[in-house]
This record gives sequence, structure tokens and C-alpha cells, in this order.
Amino acid sequence: MLNENEVNPSVQYDEIYDPIEPINRAILGFNFFIDDVAIRPVIKTYKFIAPEPVEKGVSNFFGNLREPIRAIAFVFQGEFLKSLNSAGRFTVNTLTSLGTFDLASRVGMTKNETDIGLTLAKSGVSSGPYLVLPIIGPSNLRDFSGDVVEFFIDPVSNNLPNREYVSIGDGLNARAEVDEEIDLIRESSSDRYEMLKSIYYQNRNSQIEEDFVQNLPTPKIYIE
Amino acid sequence: MNNSDGQNNENYDDYVKFVEKNFAVKSIAYGLIPESILSKSDKSDLKNYEASFQNYITKTIYNLSNNATSGEIKLIDIDLKDNIYQINSKIIDGRDSINLYWKVASINSSFKILDVIVENTSYFVTKKSEFSKILRKNRGDIRKLTEEINKI
Repeated sequence: MLNENEVNPSVQYDEIYDPIEPINRAILGFNFFIDDVAIRPVIKTYKFIAPEPVEKGVSNFFGNLREPIRAIAFVFQGEFLKSLNSAGRFTVNTLTSLGTFDLASRVGMTKNETDIGLTLAKSGVSSGPYLVLPIIGPSNLRDFSGDVVEFFIDPVSNNLPNREYVSIGDGLNARAEVDEEIDLIRESSSDRYEMLKSIYYQNRNSQIEEDFVQNLPTPKIYIE
Repeated sequence: MNNSDGQNNENYDDYVKFVEKNFAVKSIAYGLIPESILSKSDKSDLKNYEASFQNYITKTIYNLSNNATSGEIKLIDIDLKDNIYQINSKIIDGRDSINLYWKVASINSSFKILDVIVENTSYFVTKKSEFSKILRKNRGDIRKLTEEINKI
């Protein structure tokens, strides 16, 4: 456990280590191109056609498939109650609605986010270089390593027929969930690469650090 | 009604007043720039930058509010740290909710917003990284940064 005077080496605020920025920028350009010509139209059509309960159900379904990996990650973090909660959520939601309805939350088993990348971060592993992965998007060496581990140990996905279709569906659902945010980045950013990188790190840091908001830098006050 | 930036909503002027009244524009704008660049920049360049930034933040809030769904803001708690109030709230829309933090300071005996943190994404931190990049690319020239802001 870190005390308040220590700096968690897995958390970054200012300069993000980005030694392969030109390559990352090229991949991001490619990702936005693919998004423009193929993914975005599908997402916009889906969001236009699908009623909100359907969207929510699809989102719950894919979120539920991740509960077993969360249960495993919590075990590695020594969070046994949270691990049991994730396993319980998976059981309740799968048995009652194949995961499309989050009954577990209604009965007090609230969702706790985690993954293997966060497990590594909480063990003090630093993030390593920032990466933009083709199609997938922002990551870093630590989180990408976590994703690779998850790919091999995920008990659900490894036992599903046509796993690749599930992965595509999961990816499209994840993209649909951040559709408004992506639109905002397109509209309001002077440098969408920097904006995405900053948002990615802030989100990950908020999951690593308990006092994330309190510890964010704040502007010095000038008399207006 | 159209303003100079093509915003064609009758309410746009209200947003201009809202930002002037409620946001610590100078503190945010100057906070986004490294001290070394602030100290070496010309005063008129800094004034232009501040004006452009105010326009930029107004447009951002205007666009955000036009895209936002209806919902109510519920106050969760307020914390005071280093003379800055940290307001924890939630935007509640049906069963969905979004975490929303505000960092507020008392400046000239009125409360002004220094930062807005939506779902763990700080406006100030995000813009600081964007603006730092532009400044690094342009050898700390604040006029280039102002030009970039005006393009958005």
C-alpha cells in the first residue's frame, strides 16, 4: 500500500511516454479512416434503428461475458469478495436473461470494473510506451499485455463457438458505447491524437488511483 | 441569429454570458500554458490567446449542451482542499448516471469554475496535453496556438 507521499509508478499525469508517436499517429489515421468508411456508418445506423432497451440489452450481454475475467483478475488482486461478486453477477445474469438484463445490480451485486492490465498496474507495473493498436485503438504495453493474457485465459470466450464473431460484436458494442465521445473528439479537438491519449490515460488512472480526482492538477488562480 | 463563428442559435449569446460569469477563463487559459512560455510572451498575444480561448470554451459548452440528453444534476458532496471546492455530482437520466466533478474557487468574491471532470476525464488535463503539443511543435509560439484554437 502506498502512503500519500509516495508516487504510484503505474500512474502518469504529465508527459506520457510515447517513443513511437509517428507510428501511433499513422495507425490512428488508419483507424479513423476505417471508422469513417466502415464502422461509423454501421454504428450510426444501429443507434438510429435500435430502441434504447435493445442497445442496453446488447451492452449488458457483452459486459456480462467479461464478468469471469473480472472474477479472475480480482483474485490476482487479492479482492476475493469482489471476485465472488463478479462470479455471482455472471451466474445470476446468465441464468435469468443470458446476460441481457442486469438483474444482479438490482439485487445489490453492483458491477466492479477491472481487467488484467489494471491488475498489473496495481502491482506497480508501469504503463510502458503508449500504443495505438490497429482497429482496437489506444493502449499501452502493460494494458496490451493484459489483453493478450485475457485472450488465453478467458474461460467464456475460449469455450464459445465462433469466438471471432463474438469479438467483433464486442468491439462494435464498445465503439457504439463511446459514439458521442468520438463525435466530440472529432468536433472539438485541435489534436485528436493528443486528446485521445490524454483521455485514455485519465480513464485508466482513475481505475488505478483511489483519489484520482483530488490528485488531478488544477490551474493556478489568476485574478480575472 | 448567427454569430461570427457560424453558431446559429438564439441562445448562443446566453452561453457567452454564462462562460464569462461562471468560468475562471483567465486561470484556465493561463494554466494550460507552461510558466516559461507565459513569462516570455507578449501581453497583447496573451490577451488574444485569452479571448480566443474564451470563444473556444464557449463553443465547446454550447455544442455539448446541444448534444446532451435531458437529465437532472444531483449534488453528492462538496470537499474543500487548498482553497478549491471540489463538487461531486451526478447527471441522472432515468436509470443511467454520469459522474460529474467541478473544481470551483472563490475569485474576486464570486465562485468560478476551474475544471469540469466528466466520467474521470478532466477538461483541464485534456486541453493541457493538447495545447502543450501544439506549443512544442511551434517552439512555444503562443500566436500559433491562438491560430490553432481559432481554426476549431
